[in-house]
Amino acid sequence: MSSIQTDPTLVGTPAGGGRPRRQRDRYAYQNTAIALGLVAVLVTAIIGVQIGTSGATFVNVLETFWGKITGVVPTDRAVLQVQTVIWELRVPRVLLAIFGGAALAVAGTLFQGLLRNPLVSPYTLGIAPAAAFGASLAIVIFGATAGSATISLVIGALLFSFLNTALVLSLASTRNLNPTSLILVGIALSQLFGALTACIQYFAEDEILAAIVRWTWGSVNNSAWYQVLVLLVLLGITFPYIRFRSGALNAIAFAGDDSAKTLGVAVSRVRLESIAIAATLTAVTIAFTGIIGFVGLVAPHIARLVVGSNHRFLTTFSAIIGALLLVVSDAVGRLVISPGVIPVGIIDALVGAPIFLYLILTRQKAIE
Amino acid sequence: MTLTIDSLVVGYGKREVVKGATLDVSKGELVGLLGSNGSGKSTLIKTIAGINRHTRGTITWNGGTDLANLPRRELAKIVAYVPQSIGLSFALDIKEAVLLGRTPYFGTKPRDEDWQHVEAAMRLLGLDELGDRNVTELSGGQGQRVLIARALAQDPEILLLDEPTSALDIRYQWQTLSVAREVTRKNNVAGVIAIHDLNQAARFTDRVVFLHDGEVIGDGRPADVYSPELIKRVYGVDVEISTYKGFAQVHPLSERAEHLLRTPPVAPAYTPVFAEARLELHA
Repeated sequence: MSSIQTDPTLVGTPAGGGRPRRQRDRYAYQNTAIALGLVAVLVTAIIGVQIGTSGATFVNVLETFWGKITGVVPTDRAVLQVQTVIWELRVPRVLLAIFGGAALAVAGTLFQGLLRNPLVSPYTLGIAPAAAFGASLAIVIFGATAGSATISLVIGALLFSFLNTALVLSLASTRNLNPTSLILVGIALSQLFGALTACIQYFAEDEILAAIVRWTWGSVNNSAWYQVLVLLVLLGITFPYIRFRSGALNAIAFAGDDSAKTLGVAVSRVRLESIAIAATLTAVTIAFTGIIGFVGLVAPHIARLVVGSNHRFLTTFSAIIGALLLVVSDAVGRLVISPGVIPVGIIDALVGAPIFLYLILTRQKAIE
Repeated sequence: MTLTIDSLVVGYGKREVVKGATLDVSKGELVGLLGSNGSGKSTLIKTIAGINRHTRGTITWNGGTDLANLPRRELAKIVAYVPQSIGLSFALDIKEAVLLGRTPYFGTKPRDEDWQHVEAAMRLLGLDELGDRNVTELSGGQGQRVLIARALAQDPEILLLDEPTSALDIRYQWQTLSVAREVTRKNNVAGVIAIHDLNQAARFTDRVVFLHDGEVIGDGRPADVYSPELIKRVYGVDVEISTYKGFAQVHPLSERAEHLLRTPPVAPAYTPVFAEARLELHA
């Protein structure tokens, strides 16, 4: 058999195990970055839970969790109230920011890699306008008030997100799911759903209009435990698949479709499955939060600048950056005009854009 | 140890591009695939590589292995493909780019063995001194070397190169072709290279195969196959063929161009005003 390795005149394979050891260290930096990132998420989460109008200390937070684990309900009414606020409002809010940010960032990474385009975001295929149309429709039908309307909002947004994704994938599959067709079909459907939403807004009463606009800002204000759990389960199921496919993703992203096929990758199948996953992550997240922009586009880039482009580390680190970005943004949004809350979707761009600019400019210098 | 292509037909929709091509390539041999644009060179290479599907005919390796029906991953362990250029959307360091060649071999995590192949391929192509440089910073020739290194990291038995020199200057063309030549010989792989330059094909390949309108119309050593008639038929150009250091060399003839070259330039009758205007433009 021919082999580069077996030809000693060409290769001169080094004796001993010196080299492989060095290779194992090759990713030490990436692994450290991921470990530090996870710690950072934990720390910001704990700080995030403490922020709010009725103050909560670190001890309160610990007591709340201890109480939930042991099942002991505090007898003091004041303590009970603090613990209820922490458990029913703050924790789901912070966790929704974490999992939502992670989901959007992972989706963004997948879309950018699969479509080989750094300008792509989770919304490029038109999921956001479709979800906005679904949500608007729900608001028109069930009224602008929250409460009973919330679940119909979620369902409306989800329904149209999936409808949109199914349309994009089936239309683009007539063109072998090639990246350009996908993006173009996505643009067309974005325009279509955007126009449909504009129609609703044009004819809607002020109250309805305000509710629609509020939804499109994107926030974690209406967080609930079931949302946290749904996202957790979804991430828990999809993440192993994404990690398993990291080699195939690398081949598609960096070698292109033709070469990836010759590297043994079933390109169309991987692209279809991965887009379905990315679209589901995006759809479910924004059904709960409304349209949170920026994080899905920028978290992958920030992550790439820190850990490099290899998807084995990139998807994980993107998730961490996305989580951090939203937790911090939500905390900032609750602090600046307290007791008022600025939606996280607005703050994440305000916080993220300078960080992103800083990284681009300093990295550029390092290259030159 | 031969790659055998027998009566291969490949089409896009109803249009047949390769119409019953038959050829074989032995181990250690570099075969140049020649033909005009649209003659089916690229399609043939992509079909062997498993990018395109064929409609009829067979592609076999070693007399027994049916390459066209091999699972993708298994095919990738036998056949490696070098595209025309390295298409880049994201920054990636050279080593990671070469590691892509190991995709068919490892799951999520590259093993020591994979790294050994990567390093061997990088050393062979002189990429180790470029270290952890980014592929986006490389010249065309270096990029091409990365692609060949990636293909070699695949540990292939068949190496396909699809016009790898088209976008390179003469220095990198020669470097790339020398490497292709050396690799097929020393690593004992069966090499097929689609190439436009007849003179370079004559110098670097063991054998050339002429494709014309999807059919093989010439197969043999360049010196034996190159003829004014064949080249006129394939490219529609009149040529003279000479021998330089034992290699066949092709020289296109053009009565018109030669006539023009022999004609001295007509003395330009610039008026002084016009000349001044020109001077101003240059100042």
